[in-house]
Amino acid sequence: MGLLDAHLVPAVDGVAYGLLLFVVAAGLSLAFGTAGVLNLAHGTLYAIGAYAGAACGDGTWGGLVLGLAAGTAVAGAAGAGLSFAAFPLARRGHLAQALLTFGLALVGGDLLVQVFGADEPPVRVPGALDTSVTLLGHRYPAYRLGFIVMAVLLAAFGSWVLARTRAGAAVRAAADDPRMLAATGVSPRAVHLGVLTAAGALAGGAGVLGAPIIGPGPGTSENVLMLSLVVVVLGGLRSPWATLLAAVAVGEVQTLGVAVAPDLAPYLLFAAMAVALIARPRATEPPGGHDPSPTPAPDPLTWLRTRAKTLPWRRTRAKTPLGTGENAKGWDGVGRGTPASSPGRTGTGASLPERTGGKASLPGVALARRVAVPALVFGALLLLPGVLDAYTVSLAGSALALGLLAVSVTLLTGHAGLPTLGQTAPFAVGAYTTAVLAGAGWTAGPVQVVLAALAAVVFCLVTGPAVVRARSTTVLMITLAVGELASAVAGRLTSVTGGADGLVGFPPTRALWGTAGMVEERDVYTYALVVTALAVAVTLLVLRSPAGRLLAGARGAEARMRASGHPVGRYLLVAYVGAGALAGIGGSLTVTVQQYLSPADVGFEIAAFALLAAVIGGTTSVVGALCGAALIVLTRDWVAGAWPGHGPLLLGVLFVVAVYLLPRGLAGLRRGPNDAAAGGHALLPAPAAPPNDKVPT
Amino acid sequence: MLQLLGLTAGYHGGTVLHGVDLTVAAGTVHAVVGRNGAGKTTLVHTVAGLLRPASGRVLLDGLDLAGRPAHRIARAGVGLVPQGRRVFASLTVAEHLRLAHRPPRSADRPGVWTPERVLGLLPRLGERLGTRGANLSGGEQQMLALARALLSSPRVLLLDEPTEGLSPELADRVHSLARTSADEGMAVLLVCPSPAQAIGCADTLTVLTSGRTALRMDGAAARADAAPLRAALDLTPARD
Repeated sequence: MGLLDAHLVPAVDGVAYGLLLFVVAAGLSLAFGTAGVLNLAHGTLYAIGAYAGAACGDGTWGGLVLGLAAGTAVAGAAGAGLSFAAFPLARRGHLAQALLTFGLALVGGDLLVQVFGADEPPVRVPGALDTSVTLLGHRYPAYRLGFIVMAVLLAAFGSWVLARTRAGAAVRAAADDPRMLAATGVSPRAVHLGVLTAAGALAGGAGVLGAPIIGPGPGTSENVLMLSLVVVVLGGLRSPWATLLAAVAVGEVQTLGVAVAPDLAPYLLFAAMAVALIARPRATEPPGGHDPSPTPAPDPLTWLRTRAKTLPWRRTRAKTPLGTGENAKGWDGVGRGTPASSPGRTGTGASLPERTGGKASLPGVALARRVAVPALVFGALLLLPGVLDAYTVSLAGSALALGLLAVSVTLLTGHAGLPTLGQTAPFAVGAYTTAVLAGAGWTAGPVQVVLAALAAVVFCLVTGPAVVRARSTTVLMITLAVGELASAVAGRLTSVTGGADGLVGFPPTRALWGTAGMVEERDVYTYALVVTALAVAVTLLVLRSPAGRLLAGARGAEARMRASGHPVGRYLLVAYVGAGALAGIGGSLTVTVQQYLSPADVGFEIAAFALLAAVIGGTTSVVGALCGAALIVLTRDWVAGAWPGHGPLLLGVLFVVAVYLLPRGLAGLRRGPNDAAAGGHALLPAPAAPPNDKVPT
Repeated sequence: MLQLLGLTAGYHGGTVLHGVDLTVAAGTVHAVVGRNGAGKTTLVHTVAGLLRPASGRVLLDGLDLAGRPAHRIARAGVGLVPQGRRVFASLTVAEHLRLAHRPPRSADRPGVWTPERVLGLLPRLGERLGTRGANLSGGEQQMLALARALLSSPRVLLLDEPTEGLSPELADRVHSLARTSADEGMAVLLVCPSPAQAIGCADTLTVLTSGRTALRMDGAAARADAAPLRAALDLTPARD
């Protein structure tokens, strides 16, 4: 009783906190479960509401009501905007939409800081609630009790709409089978719009009412997003009661847990998330129906292009097929005079006409080209320090490190089919290993790189089994949990990692035994370039070997591979471990290049950048991923240098632009824009024809 | 009346339907039979708007529906009973009925269907109103899929292998329901793998082979002599 009494106040706080998270997470889970949007801008919607509450709250009831109206309306409108932005991408899957929402979140966060400043504004509650009441002998803020009542009412209203109204039935039907719902006469677009608007309004309303609990500030969006993601993962998507329970549990961890065991609380959340995902790996998959439709998706560019062809003044050819890139491809085939090749092979056949030309088909020439082109590129990159200033050269070094991380993401996302937001975890392991080794006097580069890779391998062997059991979006969430856990450890384990202050002042890496430590940017860059080139070369060799083909098989037709006796799980584990080693090497390079390491270098943002770099590269192209990483570093550090303080805005725009304009990445550009069907396989041979099991005839 | 003119459709990988012409007059049942892979479901999906045709026209009483989104086609008066039923797993029977019920705006629909009328014809559903779609038996799911399509009071009813996996009694019930709908003035397109299931209630039969119409027969003629039908199904080469 004494224990309960001492912790009553944080325990009740935990309930309020949990209910707040429940309202926010309900919107997130609704958007994901029925509209298929993993909305990484959901925290920003909450922040909009919180800022509105702080701006309108003047200590009167009128101020609260005004704030509630404004916050709900603006966040609802932002949700509607998200729907308009994301709907055209619906057929490209969760990854593209998640990246789009993350980009919009970066842009929105920047705009909020522009409007409201970088400080945390004070939040005033109505005078009548700005007192405390006596609760079992304790003084307790009246507002929080009022908030608990409001949140319960809001949750009850939401459940009633979902369970008892026709609109709610349509939303649940959309989660079950969106195409069949359309065939019943309900517009999927209307459901998408309604769900995201409602989710936005919920988050905004929660932000206004919850501002006194989780206040507005630059860090609010990410904090709320992470916590509500944890709630969704713990609660699963099936039952609102499980979500409620999870939300209250997370709330208690954040309040009671911090009060009772302050050292363990940050790990507890993500550890619980990881346990929940391992125990129920399928719980967070949207229930059915989101498999891409057999109709080839007209991405915005192709759509515009085909529309342009149908404009009256362009209507020169007799009959213009509308909409699908498929037909446009057929045309180009005819236009170039290449005979129609078999389905699934058309990709490479039509897009690389020079291969059918006489010269390139000679094996000797092809081999020479294969060796000569990379050698030339490598040589050009080696000469780079000669023409660039020191700062740019060190940026190029950072780009190489991020590039290796992006290659590792590409390996997992594109080749193993495991989209990841958590490669920063082995990256962090490699980075901290290198920094600690250097601090202990082990400064030889090869030793650092190899040990960093080994440490990352060990880490991946431990976490791998949980990751490779899951598929698709669940992997995103598991890896997110792994990454966040690693970054939480990095921030807390002060004795090893230096905590939030980071590690600094360790001796520079020596390129080889017996050489001096590298302090010149150009030396560091050359070292990073050589290590990267070696790692990339090994990766490419493996991907082109039979092992790479096995991985392609596991990704494309897992059931068939299993049925043919292939231990797919083991292949995926090997891929995960290999990707981890690459990330570890990348981490090692980061430390060598920066001579400094902090938890921010291994945080969620870096994970999102790496994923974006992989997507810009075309998801399966290793070289593309390196280019994507270079583009991101260029945007973040170089372009943003000309416009200080707006790095996030520029990166957000880069996310959005990349998702819209590069549906198949840079690799897709190389193969020609009309090559819709084959996916982004620039460096791999064209995959076998897509599996036909799902295609009804 | 539903008219398909030169309908061509497929998936990325190849064309499945090669210029199909087909007419389902109001008040008739038109059965499309063909082997696996002949393009029957592709035909139905293209009409319902789940698949965008590459070329050709889908005319519903003169209005071209080709290329429109599925929900517009449904609202224009096309009801779909898909292969495999595809009832909504998490919705109860009552919610299905409420979601699907759309009173027609214009008076030119062949028959007006209300939940009461549907439940009168399919009494079994009335006993299962509170049960979720996932927990229904196969037969009940089929009844529910039919009810869902009828409740929009469609002008055209697309039935894609509606008797698959049903007991003979239930299959008869489905066929007689198709007949009743047609007699009220609906155009019914019935798809099934073998003519034996359709021959009893069809006014016209079409054999689809490799995405092309191989034979068209009057229902009465087919009932009198099914030999040409069987020949068209067996002797034509399989999909290339």
